[in-house]
Amino acid sequence: MAAVAHVPSTTPLERTFAVTSWHARSYRRTWRATITTAFLNPIFFLLSVGVLLGQLIDDDRAQLGGLSYVEFVAPGLLAATAMQMGANDAMWPVMAGIKWLRTYHAVLATPVRVGELVIGTMGWSGVRVLSAAAIFTAVAAIGGAIPSALAVLAPFAALLTGLALNAPITAFSASLEGGDDGWYPALNRFALIPMFLFAGTFFPVSQLPDWLEPAAWATPLWHGVELCRMLTTGDLDVLALVHVGYLLAFVVVGTILAVRLHRRALLK
Amino acid sequence: MSSAADSPLIEAHDLTKRFGDFTAVDSVDFSVRAGETFGFLGPNGAGKTSTMRMISAVSPVSGGTLRVLGRDPATHGPEIKARMGVVPQQDTLDFELTVYENILVYGNYFGLAKDVIAARANELLEFVQLSERRDSKVEPLSGGMKRRLTIARALVNEPELLLLDEPTTGLDPQARHVLWDRLYRLKQQGVTQVLTTHYMDEAEQLCDRLVVMDQAKIVAEGSPRQLIDRYVQREVVELRFAGTPSVDGQLEGLGERVEVLADRILIGTDDGDGTAHAVHERGVPVESVLVRRSTLEDVFLTLTGRTLVD
Ligand SMILES: Nc1ncnc2c1ncn2[C@@H]1O[C@H](COP(=O)(O)OP(=O)(O)OP(=O)(O)O)[C@@H](O)[C@H]1O
Ligand SMILES: [Mg+2]
Repeated sequence: MAAVAHVPSTTPLERTFAVTSWHARSYRRTWRATITTAFLNPIFFLLSVGVLLGQLIDDDRAQLGGLSYVEFVAPGLLAATAMQMGANDAMWPVMAGIKWLRTYHAVLATPVRVGELVIGTMGWSGVRVLSAAAIFTAVAAIGGAIPSALAVLAPFAALLTGLALNAPITAFSASLEGGDDGWYPALNRFALIPMFLFAGTFFPVSQLPDWLEPAAWATPLWHGVELCRMLTTGDLDVLALVHVGYLLAFVVVGTILAVRLHRRALLK
Repeated sequence: MSSAADSPLIEAHDLTKRFGDFTAVDSVDFSVRAGETFGFLGPNGAGKTSTMRMISAVSPVSGGTLRVLGRDPATHGPEIKARMGVVPQQDTLDFELTVYENILVYGNYFGLAKDVIAARANELLEFVQLSERRDSKVEPLSGGMKRRLTIARALVNEPELLLLDEPTTGLDPQARHVLWDRLYRLKQQGVTQVLTTHYMDEAEQLCDRLVVMDQAKIVAEGSPRQLIDRYVQREVVELRFAGTPSVDGQLEGLGERVEVLADRILIGTDDGDGTAHAVHERGVPVESVLVRRSTLEDVFLTLTGRTLVD
């Protein structure tokens, strides 16, 4: 066995992809558990809030820029679902890899580098977000909630939104030295749920008290919602670039921090 | 590889690991030659894992130099890891995957072709006697089976160097023997092994050469036989007492060395039977007297004044 080393050399991309396919394989066994949050819940929301509740408020279309309520809320739910998925993938699964099951340590005993581990893992979250977003967009389109063909780009906007949450929360998870998962419920309660409710998903942020509106603008979800809404309604303008830039900044800074903090947590 | 075979696979000089102000590994020197099984024997907290992690290129050295497979782990980590197998102290198996998939996924990280991995995975499962559990989940496996799977997984890249951090801790005697047998076969196949243990019998069974580690330092180095010859007498007479050992002066002049422990007294001697006879003769109030060969445990006791497993 030991005579000659004939281990093939690998490229960073191949190693990153190997990490992504590891997650894909693990997911095969757990997909049933997440299928409701990823696919069914957003569609139920669209039905109950968008269609049924929407019928009650559709008289006042001017408030919604001439959209029916279901047309307004569909891109909101798209972005919010992406946010939730990207965030969840960055919490317990990351902590498990670092601390509880220590599977990340196994990966780093191989030629895979920390950056490849982190990006390959984020990549898998991206695959999940993108496929859920594509399905949601298709269902919403069939249900008549999507007026514009530009909506084919909306799943990519959702992907960007998901990663804008996934990257910084992955960094946050890696920073929790003691494996303290008590932070996650707090993160949900004080950041994710308020964003879901108030950052433009269900109503325009102009409805918020004036002093609160800028806070909504600062959230990544608002930019994701606005971007998705521009694409599904076809009401695209130059502000889209601001949204893309804002979300990309979260992805890039989050990823850099995530790699550094993983290095600190795993390579002691 | 002929020139590489002469130079050590691992070479450490003044190797040091610090965590903040705490020194976990303090200026140790050792080298591991191709084909040998090399051990780190030491109690909890001695610095064995810290040393192994530096060798496996996942823990930056704090001082000194380290070469693994001729390279510096700080700059050539991935190249080193490509030719090495690692069995960490705590299992890191993926419980979502089956036994077979755990190896499959691992092989991917080394860039091995699918069919190569598949063939090797089946061979390796055969080797560690897990073929029947190929498609079962990992979680319900026994501790010994998990350990064997971890070893199989570490072998998927056909490593030249296998690192095993406490390969049998927590296993029952039978599971340990199965594992020792597999490790012995790997040695016959020419795989260089570095292992840590705090069991002296394991070190004696498996290691060609070992270092005794205590409180971050290497306190002795040699083959098990050499260490016993060098540091202790051939035999030990163990005296047990009804209560706390109390002999006030009665053992004067007996054997070469007397260690008083909490529950017994050990006398190192080259003539066990003679010494035991003398103990009876002097009327020492013992409950039982046992004559046995010296072990690495006695070496450790002599070197540090403490027992290995507490
Ligand atoms: N990441 C860390 N941060 C701080 N201290 C550490 C860290 N890792 C290990 N240590 C300390 O370094 C010392 C040596 O630990 P190490 O794990 O190397 O010992 P060991 O010989 O493997 O012990 P054991 O037999 O218990 O596995 C211990 O006192 C331990 O508490
Ligand atoms: Mg250890």
